[in-house]
Amino acid sequence: MKTMRGKRWIDDTCRVAMHVLFAFTFLFLFVPVLVSVTMAFDARPYLAPFPPSGLSLQWFGEFFSSDYLLQGLWTSLILASASSLVAMAVGSLAAFGLDRARFRGRELLLSLFLSPLIVPGVILGFGLLLLFSSLDLLEGLPRLIAGHVLITFPLCLRATLASLVGIRKSLTEAAMSLGATEWQALWEITFPLARTGVLAGGIFAFAVSMDDVAVALFLSDPTIYTLPIALVSMMRANFDLTIAAASLFLLVLAAFSTWLLARCVDLGQGVYRKP
Amino acid sequence: MASEAAARKALEVAGVTKRFGAVTAVDEITFSVPQGRITCLLGPSGCGKTTSLRLIAGFEFPDSGVISIGGATMSRERPYERKVGLLFQDYALFPHMTVHENVCYGLKHRRYPKAAIQNRSRAVLELVKLRGLEQRYPSQLSGGQQQRVALARALAPEPDILLLDEPLSALDAKLRDELRVELKDILDKVDCTTIVVTHDQEEAMSLGNSIIVMNEGRIEQEGSPSEIYARPANRFVADFVGRSNWLRGVVLDAGPMEGFVWVELGNGAKVRSRCPAAPAGSACDLFVRPEAFTVASAADRGSKETLTGRVHDVSPLGSDVHVTVDVEGVGRVVVVRKNQWGDRLQRGDHVTLAFEAADSLVFALDR
Repeated sequence: MKTMRGKRWIDDTCRVAMHVLFAFTFLFLFVPVLVSVTMAFDARPYLAPFPPSGLSLQWFGEFFSSDYLLQGLWTSLILASASSLVAMAVGSLAAFGLDRARFRGRELLLSLFLSPLIVPGVILGFGLLLLFSSLDLLEGLPRLIAGHVLITFPLCLRATLASLVGIRKSLTEAAMSLGATEWQALWEITFPLARTGVLAGGIFAFAVSMDDVAVALFLSDPTIYTLPIALVSMMRANFDLTIAAASLFLLVLAAFSTWLLARCVDLGQGVYRKP
Repeated sequence: MASEAAARKALEVAGVTKRFGAVTAVDEITFSVPQGRITCLLGPSGCGKTTSLRLIAGFEFPDSGVISIGGATMSRERPYERKVGLLFQDYALFPHMTVHENVCYGLKHRRYPKAAIQNRSRAVLELVKLRGLEQRYPSQLSGGQQQRVALARALAPEPDILLLDEPLSALDAKLRDELRVELKDILDKVDCTTIVVTHDQEEAMSLGNSIIVMNEGRIEQEGSPSEIYARPANRFVADFVGRSNWLRGVVLDAGPMEGFVWVELGNGAKVRSRCPAAPAGSACDLFVRPEAFTVASAADRGSKETLTGRVHDVSPLGSDVHVTVDVEGVGRVVVVRKNQWGDRLQRGDHVTLAFEAADSLVFALDR
């Protein structure tokens, strides 16, 4: 009886401790976001301490009237769309191949493909800059796209590989015994079943590309630059709350596009489609 | 030109070998299946039966030998270049397609005209009694229904050969018996040349017109179910198909009839037995099926072969009773009888068992 009560006491303490830990983690993650969201509506015309004394939309006006930032936003959108599409195509094809292939060095190849995830962006960016300029190869937007495909395609590869794990090999064989060629089986059977993984990878890729500073910093030039790069350089020159307004805009954009995609493609619905 | 006999062979496998690295999965196997017949490849796991199936379907290519389907050589044709229907062990239904879409998949790829696709789909779903479930997804069906969809899908494009991979092993025992009968009815109706791969001898015996027993990549015996059961060609087949008793003895000399010998058992008893080939004086094992034994009546002594022993255990198992009898100098003998006289026998009873000489078989010892 006594030991039972002792154990209950420990259970309760642990439960309380866990809730406290959750609360702290939550605060740690969301307080900075809340601060920056609130500051975006600051009515004071200069950068002042939290909290704002009044609310206004003036910083959004600043953001949308700044040609410099809007051009960065436009570049970022084009860049993120293009590089996530390419990354999705390359990454998912690599995943289809690696999933069925059984050859020596398969693990090594996979690690190599995933290595951009662990190599620091600064090193990748600098390396790409040196490579492209010494080969006199790509410039401007294509150079940025190449860089972003490199850092985002491992995400697509990994997401697609994960979704392929649950797809039995016999499905492809069944399709082929029914008259489908290898390509038709891939396109009609494997791809629709792995669609969730492919698209999830694509969304990750888009988000990472929109957010990247390290690689874009090296591959941008005075005429082609992304929104994060524009924000960073603006922060250096004249720091004001347009940055907070821009961040909030990006946040809403990201949330909206994810919601839209989720609605269109049954994201997270797994393999089985509802009737 | 192919002779008429050869033309009637729907499938011919000639000297086919397949290796995976150092392992020879299929070792120079040769067999043929006549048009419209059902043949079972029976054997333990790893005997090469599944590899044989995959070779016929075109998922693997033979290292040597020739596979011909309907008289045409198909050794290296891709799966979609052969007309072979396959029922997978896990059914392999496309989870993102309805029953109707699953069944039509093969018809579309085999270029059936639009109207024919609808007719054919309706016909095969009628055949497997699944009309009305066209719009369901596989996840909404029971195991038995999924299997019938898979069968309908395989049959829809009218394959030259139908391959069934362990068709009943994924189902529980009771459902298995029901579906075995149903499957047999369906196969009878479609009259398609069929190969069933299975490790379950009951499945093989009930479905197959003929059975090919395989072991370690080779064919051990080919024959009708009753032949395989009653006259196994060797010790492996005798052991793998059904239950068997092995009585150690010595071949004495030829018996009174052609093809029979006298055998002296360990307890000194002399019995007659069928014997294809074993020299006199050689050590041998006498093979008798458990149900070949009866309790000897007075009339049996003299006309049948007899063994005397003591009942060790009586286990009534529903319709059958399993009786184990210790025969001194010979060993333990298992007897299976209908559950009619089992209650009369009791542990410790002395009993005389009888069997027909024709129901036994002598196998020479290997060494």
